Amino acid sequence: MNRKHKSDLVILFATLALMALGLIIIYAIGPMRANVLNNTYGTDYDSNYFFLGQLRSVALSLIAFFAAFKWIPHKYIKKYAKPLMIVSLVLSGLLWLLSLTGSSLARCELGECRWFNLGGLSFQPAELIKLALVIYLADFLARKKENGELGKWKEFWLPLLIVCGLSLFLVVIAQGDLGTGVTLIAIIFGMLLISGIPAKQYLIMIALVLAVAVGAVATSSHRMQRVDAWLTTLTGGESTDSTYHVDNAMLAIGTGGFFGVGIGNSVQATGYLPESINDSVFAIMGETFGFVGLFLVLIVFGAILLRLLKVAEHTNAADDRLIITGVFSWFLAGVVVNIMAMTGIVPVTGITLPLISYGGTSMIFIAFAIGLSLQISCYTSREGIKDENISSRGRLRGSHYTSRRRSS
Amino acid sequence: MPRNNYKKQNNNGPTKHRLNILKNLALIALAIIVVRLFFIQIIEHNAWVAKANEQHTLLEAITAKRGEIYMMDHGEPVAIVLNQTAYQIVIDPTVTQKEDIEKVVNTYAKEYQTADIDEIYSQEGLRYAIVAKNIPRAIAEKIAESETPAVWLKKTNQRVYPEGEFASGLLGFVNNDGVGQYGVEGSLNKALAGENGLIKTTSDINNVALSIGKDNVKIPAKDGQNIILSIDRSLEKGTEELASEAINNTAATNASVLILNPNNGKVLTMANLPNYNPNEYSSVTDAAIFNNYVTDVPYEPASICKNFAFSAAINEGKMTPDTTFFNQHYEVVDDWKIWNAEQRSSLYGTLTMRDALYWSLNTGSIHALKLLGDDPTHINQQGREKLFDYYYNKFRLGHTTGVELNEAEGFIPDPNEGWGRDSTYANLTFGQNLSITMLQTATAFSAVVNGGTWRTPSILEDNPTQERVEDKILSDETSAMMREMLIHNRSYKVRQGIDRAGYDIGGKSGTAQVIRNGAYDDSFAELVGSYIGFVGTSGEMPSYVIMVKMWGEGQSIGSGDAMSLFDKISNYMIDYMKIKPGGV
Repeated sequence: MNRKHKSDLVILFATLALMALGLIIIYAIGPMRANVLNNTYGTDYDSNYFFLGQLRSVALSLIAFFAAFKWIPHKYIKKYAKPLMIVSLVLSGLLWLLSLTGSSLARCELGECRWFNLGGLSFQPAELIKLALVIYLADFLARKKENGELGKWKEFWLPLLIVCGLSLFLVVIAQGDLGTGVTLIAIIFGMLLISGIPAKQYLIMIALVLAVAVGAVATSSHRMQRVDAWLTTLTGGESTDSTYHVDNAMLAIGTGGFFGVGIGNSVQATGYLPESINDSVFAIMGETFGFVGLFLVLIVFGAILLRLLKVAEHTNAADDRLIITGVFSWFLAGVVVNIMAMTGIVPVTGITLPLISYGGTSMIFIAFAIGLSLQISCYTSREGIKDENISSRGRLRGSHYTSRRRSS
Repeated sequence: MPRNNYKKQNNNGPTKHRLNILKNLALIALAIIVVRLFFIQIIEHNAWVAKANEQHTLLEAITAKRGEIYMMDHGEPVAIVLNQTAYQIVIDPTVTQKEDIEKVVNTYAKEYQTADIDEIYSQEGLRYAIVAKNIPRAIAEKIAESETPAVWLKKTNQRVYPEGEFASGLLGFVNNDGVGQYGVEGSLNKALAGENGLIKTTSDINNVALSIGKDNVKIPAKDGQNIILSIDRSLEKGTEELASEAINNTAATNASVLILNPNNGKVLTMANLPNYNPNEYSSVTDAAIFNNYVTDVPYEPASICKNFAFSAAINEGKMTPDTTFFNQHYEVVDDWKIWNAEQRSSLYGTLTMRDALYWSLNTGSIHALKLLGDDPTHINQQGREKLFDYYYNKFRLGHTTGVELNEAEGFIPDPNEGWGRDSTYANLTFGQNLSITMLQTATAFSAVVNGGTWRTPSILEDNPTQERVEDKILSDETSAMMREMLIHNRSYKVRQGIDRAGYDIGGKSGTAQVIRNGAYDDSFAELVGSYIGFVGTSGEMPSYVIMVKMWGEGQSIGSGDAMSLFDKISNYMIDYMKIKPGGV
């Protein structure tokens, strides 16, 4: 075990910067959102409602972030990998049962029941599944590797398929949450790739998942409609009700031009763009900050992603490395799938933009995950991956990978 | 070199290699996003801004109030055409339930429905549709009380004609789009309509204006002008009653009557029978009924034009009412034999021009044309040119008169062009081979009897913007001689007791053959009867000029029918207008 050193400052500050950016954006467009909802649905939201909500989410997220970063030792977290996985699946299963019985404890929107209703507070168990799966798979894959059981059917694939299949079933089928489903698949495949399973098996699994995905799309008129809308947008076809969301997201982004219209001047946020404060917040940022602003935001996202991989590269413990990989995949899926949907590159799946979108649970859990990664980043070694019996001698930029160790 | 190889090998360990796959995956994805953003935000920027403006800009017309129309009644203007607030049912088919709107329309507003609901819902992507129009306030309130979701009531102005069919041919109507059609509504639409204002704002999705936009615009509406017609309401009404009575009692299906003051050009009556109800203009099946025949439709007033030929010859000093000519019932011009309508043998021989006008002899008016050319035996170029000069330049026939209404121009043939010029001009003297409107005819006739001044006619009580022509085209003497002959024309009416003592009433009839297949129909199966005359205090200048036209499809309407309507109107006017008798 390497000696503890300073964490990765880039990830730390980038994370805090994105949270701050989310607060600014919600501060600017929250009143518009309240206004639209009040006018359309006769609700009575205060103009500060969404900003205060975001403030609360950020506060809770910071607590989760520092808990995972500083307060709870990661060894301790890993020890509870299996119970955590079980609890998360049970919670989602419970939500499913509650929704089937029509209980008021299950909060449903547009026919999809994804939240526990805890008297004013709501909790989305799918987010817990993401975190649990990252920790559980890290433990599972590292153990199987150590035992030399990687790629074996009974010892490896069977339990893996059960846990992953159950998770996906609860999220995609029971909760109708395709966005989280995509994230889970990204997490699973990202971690599997790094676990060291044979490439052939890996590629077969990808082919299988693709086949299932195509089948799932083809057998659901709702999903076909989404894909059709996506193709229409991508090929510049006529606008329809189905393309409305993406059309307006692209309209917001396109109107932003080079420098954007400035904070508080977004027109698309006044009701034209659906989900302006959560799933579509990237489009509003495009309108507000323009190409320059989005480019900077992408650099921040990119920095977090690349630094996570760097941490993974220099983490010796297989389970820790797998945790980082899972967090990376989770974060990457959120960023890429959300932005690509907003720019019409992929179909809309309903996925939040990590750390920025309004929505408490998702921010709290990704913050916890990044915090955990930061804790692990305190134990990297200069040489990098050891268990491959390979030493990386490449010169690395950044204090805690190189100079600090060298000076000691 | 070997060291480098060693290093490279080491760096390609499986885990590191697979981490690199993830890294490349992330970089490629981010690169695709940046390229896509560059495409949307920089290259397509202007197109998106244009689309955004289309979506965000709320353009709302501020409807200008349409001007009202007044007529004169005992010297005071009274409103004849008004506006009232009405409502439209407006829906957004993507929000409004089809069953809801069907229920509302069928329950409350079936008779006001203007669009087929099935058709509206068959159009994809339609966000705005007007389902019913001109709904009165009481019904609109009931619809509002029904609180049907997503059905909106839009306030509009509706044109109302409280007097129903009265003067419809003159007034015209306003169509469903708020545009005046025919008559005063159509001709003066621009002044009546005013100018709609405009609100242009950036708005949110509920069309609430935002303060965000940079180029928000508000242009207030300019309301339309009220229009006061010089029409005397009661005279118009009385005339319409007499005219429809005449239609009922004769074979005629149509009658038009024009009354104007020859001393100032003011039009007092412009009646076109039958009328229609402009409140229900859409139920009219034959659009011909919308015509204002006084100004819109040129025709041949026939022998009425003899007045103009005679005036020309007298004014040129070529003849007097006592000038004589030899009447042999016909005249041969360009190898055409032109007959008189009146062929009684007592008229064969030497007659005065006064007799020629009294009996309406075509040979007489042709003689006037010959005198204009200084050759009593032939029509020549000088005569044709003189007649053209009087008809076209002085009497302004074949021109629009300049009245404030839409007018047809009509046509006077050129004196030196075309085939059969002499016979054409012979025909012109008795009102054939030309086409002129009733208003042109009556305006020219006013100059004949008012002392010789041609005045631009006017339908408005007060119109300072109108360019008014006052042109002394005939001498006082010419006008006096013409009046004397025209009064003489009606001498038998005095004997019959139709024209009352103390009044100078003169007139001239005209019976026009109808052109069928390019030639005059000598079977006389269809005739248009006209009569024009004046009425005034005996010994004074005429107060009013009255022109009557009666006709019917396939009906032979002689000038006699038109004349008896004139008789009734002239007598009615003496009483109603309180024309004082003279020399009694």
